[in-house]
Amino acid sequence: MKNLADKKRALRKLSPRLARAASFVIAACALAIAQSSSPSSPETALPAVHLEADGLAPRPIEELTGTTIARDYALAWRYLVEALESNRSGRIDEEFVGFAKDRLTQRISEQKHAGLHVRIVDHGHHLKAVFYSTDGTAMQLLDQAQLEIQTFDGNKLIDTQNVAHKYVVLMTPGADRWYVRELEEVSAQPL
Amino acid sequence: MKRISENSFARFTHLTLTALLCMLPSWARAAELQVPAVVEAGRAFSISVDGSGQATFYLVGPDHVVKRSVSLGGDLQIQSSDVRTAGRYQVIVCGSLCTSATFEVRAAQPAHLSFFLHPSRVPVSTPDAIDASAFVFDQYFNLVLTPAAVDFRIAPANGGAFSRQVSTRLGVAWMRMNSTQHEGRVQVTAVLGNVEEARVIQQVAAEACGLRMKAVTSRDMAVLETDPIRDCSGNALPDGTVVSFTKVDKAGKSTVDAPIKKGVARMQFSLHGPAQIGVACGVVLGNEIAIAPTGKL
Repeated sequence: MKNLADKKRALRKLSPRLARAASFVIAACALAIAQSSSPSSPETALPAVHLEADGLAPRPIEELTGTTIARDYALAWRYLVEALESNRSGRIDEEFVGFAKDRLTQRISEQKHAGLHVRIVDHGHHLKAVFYSTDGTAMQLLDQAQLEIQTFDGNKLIDTQNVAHKYVVLMTPGADRWYVRELEEVSAQPL
Repeated sequence: MKRISENSFARFTHLTLTALLCMLPSWARAAELQVPAVVEAGRAFSISVDGSGQATFYLVGPDHVVKRSVSLGGDLQIQSSDVRTAGRYQVIVCGSLCTSATFEVRAAQPAHLSFFLHPSRVPVSTPDAIDASAFVFDQYFNLVLTPAAVDFRIAPANGGAFSRQVSTRLGVAWMRMNSTQHEGRVQVTAVLGNVEEARVIQQVAAEACGLRMKAVTSRDMAVLETDPIRDCSGNALPDGTVVSFTKVDKAGKSTVDAPIKKGVARMQFSLHGPAQIGVACGVVLGNEIAIAPTGKL
């Protein structure tokens, strides 16, 4: 009986702290959701990117390189999402080069011409590095992304898809960052 | 009589409305799309769309967007130029309702190899010193993800040619090999079907092996000359390679660098009493000799 009374007293003491902590967590969640669900805001939130590079060959990855790859890939997706939504290629060339950049630029131009735009809610990426060349000039990765894609013709929503997407990615280093050189979506089934 | 006719009219109206309500779902039904799951890049095909009337057709691909009016109830032709880029494509048809389907375009047959050979210069007889990576692309520069066998043909200037076959994984084939024993150019060619890409690397002599020098003295001068400097496989070290001569005498220690010229390195020292002279090239130490100004070695 005395035990129960002690527990009640302890709970009473804890409850304001719990309430404060809970409100903080809820506020943080709300902020995150608000950031992720408002792609029309000037800067879309960076998507979560988790990089796995165990057993990478022929060269192992350095920790700093891994951090840079994850950051630049997240930035690449932020710019891609912004570009497909606004139909402006704006910052695409900051993170894309080669065929990936050319194809994305072409897509945005044709999308604009057709009066379409695409809204992507990016729920995050799981990257697995599969090849890193010995001279450090190319890294191939597989990306499992959870994306919600809405296609609009003008203001009319014509399609919504919320499925897992799988991409084969080729990244190459530049002066101060890693660029996306190839970004090809593949089926979830093994090739 | 009037009541009967009013009742009949009400019943008729009720039945008509019920029938209309029953038919509405079939009118509002979205067009059904039949799309192949996988298509080869650059190959025309058709999509079957049932229903009737006019609709708007959309094709959204990685680098291409099509929007056009179509008549439902037939096949929609997709041009080869619409599906040149590999990736996922979205087909949307909007009549009174919209319906969608997706299909995947996969790379066509291999047509290009992007081949990297690293490094451009490599010492002879070094294990795992040469790396070759080949990226396989189709004619539209899509990465060919289906496995393919790439043949790496290695042809040294001195020595027999050999080859190694490697299967691609997600469009990339790579191999690592030892450098051969003899200096000179080595051509490595990546071959896949009719596609070939060649690169050349230069094998150079490795570190010096059995470095030796001799000295000739005259009064207070010593002239030092190495034997022809070669690596352990007998390859001459290239001219310009630096050789260091170090003299220790009563005046202290002095080191002078001299480049190899015509296979040997030469140096002249002034002597101030007996001296100890050593020679080194890179990380390799040669012999050491004691010398005196009298000319006696």
